Amino acid sequence: MAVAIGNKSFRNVWSKAIPYLLILPVVVYYALFWVRPVLKTVFESFRDTAGQFTLQNYAMVFSDPDFIPAVRNTAIIVVFSVTLEFLAALFLAILINRKFVGSSFFLFVAMVPMALPAVAVGAMWLTGLTAHGWLNSLLFYLGVSKKIYWLAGSEWALLAIIIIIDAWQVIPSVMIILLAGLQNIPVEAEEAGYVFGGNFITVLRKITIPMLQSTIQTAVILRLISAIQIWLIMVLLMGFNRLPVLVERIVYYHEEVPGLDISFQMASGYTIIVSVIVSIAALLYLKVSGAFGGNQEARQ
Amino acid sequence: MATLTMQDVTKQFGRKVIAVKEFNLEVQDQEFLVLLGPSGCGKTTAMRMVAGLEEVTNGRILIGDRDVTDLPPRNRNVSMIFQNYAVWPHMTVFDNIGFALKLKKMPKDEIEKTVKEVAGMTNIDMLLERYPSQLSGGQQQRVAVARAIAVYPEIFLMDEPLSNLDAKLRVSMRTELKAIHDKTEATTVFVTHDQSEAMSMADRIVIMKDGEVIQVGSPDDVYHRSASIFVADFIGTPPTNFLEVDVKSENGDYRLVNPHVDFKPESHISESLRDYDKKNLILGIRPENIVLTNQKDAVLSAECLVSEPQGSHQVVAIQLDQQYIKVIASAQPKINPGETVHLAFKQDTLRLFDPETTLAIGD
Repeated sequence: MAVAIGNKSFRNVWSKAIPYLLILPVVVYYALFWVRPVLKTVFESFRDTAGQFTLQNYAMVFSDPDFIPAVRNTAIIVVFSVTLEFLAALFLAILINRKFVGSSFFLFVAMVPMALPAVAVGAMWLTGLTAHGWLNSLLFYLGVSKKIYWLAGSEWALLAIIIIIDAWQVIPSVMIILLAGLQNIPVEAEEAGYVFGGNFITVLRKITIPMLQSTIQTAVILRLISAIQIWLIMVLLMGFNRLPVLVERIVYYHEEVPGLDISFQMASGYTIIVSVIVSIAALLYLKVSGAFGGNQEARQ
Repeated sequence: MATLTMQDVTKQFGRKVIAVKEFNLEVQDQEFLVLLGPSGCGKTTAMRMVAGLEEVTNGRILIGDRDVTDLPPRNRNVSMIFQNYAVWPHMTVFDNIGFALKLKKMPKDEIEKTVKEVAGMTNIDMLLERYPSQLSGGQQQRVAVARAIAVYPEIFLMDEPLSNLDAKLRVSMRTELKAIHDKTEATTVFVTHDQSEAMSMADRIVIMKDGEVIQVGSPDDVYHRSASIFVADFIGTPPTNFLEVDVKSENGDYRLVNPHVDFKPESHISESLRDYDKKNLILGIRPENIVLTNQKDAVLSAECLVSEPQGSHQVVAIQLDQQYIKVIASAQPKINPGETVHLAFKQDTLRLFDPETTLAIGD
């Protein structure tokens, strides 16, 4: 009897352990290649060059004259580019979802910017935005004879250019996510909306968008995170320091001023700050959009 | 409450596909009309044009005296029950039912009163605060019904509303829908491919095939006086039995002859046989109109192939050449495979069809 019980409890333990054993390889992988570097960065950000604990790195980051502008510029880019991208992508997704003649060709064309790597996008727009670039040539043919010095404008003009280029590149991917979501909504749900008194706008507002809610959350959160991390495009167009943003600061200290012995510490400090900001932004957005409980039932 | 008129309504998709062809129909006030046909026959398209969800290629649609052909769905005063319920998952049952009323800017207390009233009618008044995902399929269907009643439409459209329910629920919902129709007195167009559903619910049935109307009539009409081979075959389980026969005349009398049968039909049929002397015809007879008899009176004798007991009756199948003939016989005495059965036809129920046109003759 005792043997039988022992046997049974052993089997119990074993069957409980199996799932953990199965995910063990992933855990090991994460520990080695994800947790370790993250922890290392966290430690580095609290250590001085001699390896002692210090808050000096953060003090230096906060007193960097470009820190406040970097936070401000990042915030502006995030707010405007995510809003612009979301609205334009939703519009395009709804348009393409109507399946007009040639809509699949239009979808193909609209997706081209998505296929370009950021460096190519930067190079392409750089050749466009210089004084003798293709953008000015185009305008010249259209009858605008005065050259526009695109990259010599104020900080606001530069921000606008960055936002537009980012939107140009990113709208397709947001659109694809939203389109996939739209195609998951049963046609009858919208048709019922039309039969029961809705016009295009009311059906869109009261049926389509609410039913698209979880897709919108996914798309916006992905965009939010990557918009905070924009940097390459500005460096390609304007070089470092012209339009400081948070991640550009990390790269700047890490890559451009490696001679200073505090460079690595500054970069670590910035990295941690960016990570915290990204996490807070993501959590705030999820909270505001009601992803945590509340109307779970609403999303099937 | 109103009549519905469809005049020469045609729907064409692209350049080639004609889904509905010159469809003419007059639905009476308070009538329960069923559009019946196999899938792809255009019945759903016809209904969707009435709803305004599908544009009309040609023809007019009138509700009462109003020409609604070019109106958007919201201005037609119709309501619809969809096959997959199409209740909105992000709204409570209350909001689902009240959606149209809210858009109509009905005062709040009146909305509440109407919603509670129709929820009571459909037995979902306990569920008003729930979300659709917390409901069973049958309950979701009730929500869809309640939502459709709440607007008090002139025309009720139902697009195979029962086909997603399990068999037992389907039969009980039939009764309920019919009862609700009697209570609301709304003119109803009901689309289905299930002929027994159509027979049990309809005032009139419209049978469609390949976008065209084949027959319009009461359930009795389409069952007992099927206008074509297609209708005779489509309506009824088991369907009508068909036999190819030759018409032969013998001193002024006409006989129907094939290798298995040779008999002189009753006079009401022989009238119409005059034009078909020496020609081929298709004889149609329903399984319950073939009766077991003794050897002397038999028109047809054959070996029983299988018999399917159904409790209240049995279905006896015999084989003639490549073809099965099914007979509905009383449950007792039980007929065993291999037993020889002697069969006679109830003469007044015979239908004859022209094999070329497939249409019934003698009407």
